[in-house]
Amino acid sequence: MSTSTPKFSVSNLDLFYGQCQALFGISMDIDPNSVTALIGPSGCGKSTFLRVFNRMNDLIDGVKITGSVCYDGMDVYSDFDPIDLRQKIGMVFQKPNPFPMSVRDNIAYGPRVHGTTGKKELEEIVETCIRKVGLWDEVKDRLNKSALSLSGGQQQRLCIARSLAVAPDVLLMDEPTSALDPISTGKIEDLLQELKKSYTIIIVTHNMQQAGRVSDKTAFFLNGVMVEMGETRQIFFTPTDKRTENYISGRFG
Amino acid sequence: MGNLASRQRAQTAAKFLIRIAAILTIAMLFLIIGFILYRGFWSSNQMEYPVISISETNMDGWKAVANRKNKATELTFDQLRGLFTDNYIDWVNISSRDYDVLALYPADFPAPILGISRADFGAFTQECSDWNEALAMCASTPGAVAMIPVSAELPATCEELPVRRTIFAVHPSVTEMFDNHMLRSLPETDMHSVLSGKVRSWTEVGGPDLPVRVVLPPEGSPLAQALASYVPDAAETITAGVNDAGSPELFMHTGSMVEYETALLSTPGSVGLSYSGSPVSGSLSAIRAVRTEQGPNLSFAFLYEAPKMSGKIGGISTIMINTLVMMLVTILVSGPLGILAAVYLVEYAKQGVLVRILRLSIETLAGIPSIIFGLFGMLFFVNILGWGIGLISGVLTLTLMILPTIIRTSEEALKTVAQGLREGSLALGATKMQTVLRVVLPAASSGILTGLLLAMGRAVGETAALIFTMGSSYDLVSGLTSSTRTLAVHIYLIIAEGISLGRAFATATVLILIILFMNTVATKIIGRFNSRSGT
Repeated sequence: MSTSTPKFSVSNLDLFYGQCQALFGISMDIDPNSVTALIGPSGCGKSTFLRVFNRMNDLIDGVKITGSVCYDGMDVYSDFDPIDLRQKIGMVFQKPNPFPMSVRDNIAYGPRVHGTTGKKELEEIVETCIRKVGLWDEVKDRLNKSALSLSGGQQQRLCIARSLAVAPDVLLMDEPTSALDPISTGKIEDLLQELKKSYTIIIVTHNMQQAGRVSDKTAFFLNGVMVEMGETRQIFFTPTDKRTENYISGRFG
Repeated sequence: MGNLASRQRAQTAAKFLIRIAAILTIAMLFLIIGFILYRGFWSSNQMEYPVISISETNMDGWKAVANRKNKATELTFDQLRGLFTDNYIDWVNISSRDYDVLALYPADFPAPILGISRADFGAFTQECSDWNEALAMCASTPGAVAMIPVSAELPATCEELPVRRTIFAVHPSVTEMFDNHMLRSLPETDMHSVLSGKVRSWTEVGGPDLPVRVVLPPEGSPLAQALASYVPDAAETITAGVNDAGSPELFMHTGSMVEYETALLSTPGSVGLSYSGSPVSGSLSAIRAVRTEQGPNLSFAFLYEAPKMSGKIGGISTIMINTLVMMLVTILVSGPLGILAAVYLVEYAKQGVLVRILRLSIETLAGIPSIIFGLFGMLFFVNILGWGIGLISGVLTLTLMILPTIIRTSEEALKTVAQGLREGSLALGATKMQTVLRVVLPAASSGILTGLLLAMGRAVGETAALIFTMGSSYDLVSGLTSSTRTLAVHIYLIIAEGISLGRAFATATVLILIILFMNTVATKIIGRFNSRSGT
């Protein structure tokens, strides 16, 4: 049981793509400075749910959301402008998506669009953020090279650094390691442990071992319904729901 | 195993076919470009002259000299006579130089040498007291030509003008009408064959059914020398007695000029050399000589001189500048419009029926022939809006014409930008506008640039849409409404007006080189973009 106030509290969330309902009555609380893993088979709605937090679903035509999502006690959908919201709630995607610019410009992009123009200031942000993701030693000599020349793992860490550059509060990660090799995956998992000291992290993952390794809490999704949520250890060793047990033990999904 | 072998055979055959097709295509393209460049740098024109290609600098003791600035290298007899009888008032039609003619002759010059009498001298001629004075004036006046004695020494600014005055004279029976046509001209190679006795009957060179009778001028006469230099092997044929074997009467020897002229005049099928303007030539028929003249075509002066006289003389400098101005204005108008439209269609418009209809119309517009855009531009911009034929009407017509291309290619380029980049930018809290301007457009820039380049290629090669909207003035463009012509229009017009094939090819070469240059620069720019973005 968490003692602090939740960072997010979702209650009774339904989400529709046009006529088709994708999420059914989801309620959960997310603790601050923790890693929450969303697991479940493909198409169960976990990525869709993740995009609820930073309103990325707004970009898709015909998405309708009912219920409430509160962030620090304020409703994400009525009290926030999506631009401000997304600055506070960063997102890292499944496929590394660095912009086709230099490493430096990739990091500086966020601060720049939010009005930071000082060269020195930007330079400082670039270095801090790249250091935070442990990429500094690898890229410090190629800050002016294209970000696309980095390896996949480096690109993904760069994308994380890019999200950090706008000083967010929360990081949403949509299967951030599914396109990476085990070594890069390991680096990112270690990074998550570092980052959770200062950020709240919600991570969607296919990989249950990963959920077990990195997360404090785990929520299991199935067909748009959140089946069960709890301490990761509890979900993995003593699931209360039969379906969770079946999934965890590898009988489906 | 047999299966494998047959599959391999099929694959080899397919590869072979593909390679052949590819090589053929590439060879064809090289052939075309090569041909245009060849004709652009090297002219090869078939010309027809009343005289054959023997030139003389000694006409009965007199020679023609001209100021070097005239750039004339050789004259036909008719040209020389024309200079003295006001048929030519400047050098444009002789050597493409815009100097007025000043024809000089000393008081003792016998006019009959030119086949005229003194009364025929024109207003542009001037009589000098002696040949020294004529030569001095000739040396100091561009456009001057003078008749002086052969022995005279020339100053540095003057040069001798060899004159071609020998004609291929035949008995009138040879040029009589038969089978609804007549023998008017012959390639010079055929003339060689006839004069050297290789041709027995006029039918062999497309003439009437008459035996060839070559009348040989009396030995030692200037005409005999001319014949010997024109057909060096004639003498051999004659002495070898070839004539005796087949047709004993093929060659007719004459002892004196009188006998020579009589023989020419009285023998049906006769042929010989004579002088243009000589009394006897009036009673004979001259067959015109067809010869191929070759020489360098595209010169440096062609690039920096302004065109004159419908492009007959001068160069294409102003037209090149006008073309560049046209391209610049067109790209400035159509580039932003087309890219903005594409951005709207891809990034902002709700994908529905309306956008589908819009896309369909854009595609249709892209396939409409340019002349129709020209007609529209003529009616709308020139007449209804009253902007007249000029740069702005032409540019807007071109803009309409190339916009569909720009929109289509830009759209494709924008669509290929990964959705992940847009999401990545939006997830950082960037606005849609910032995302489009800072991420999507730069990522699509190389595709967009390629599209712009394609569109510019269409614009710079356009003639039909421009003739009625932008006009055909080759003066330097002076404003948005001033009529102007581009290189492509210039090529069209000098061909249509029958001015010069050589100049058309020279202009085409310049146009191709400009396009090549443009493409290279654009490829460099695209390469820079790409290396910066790493794609």
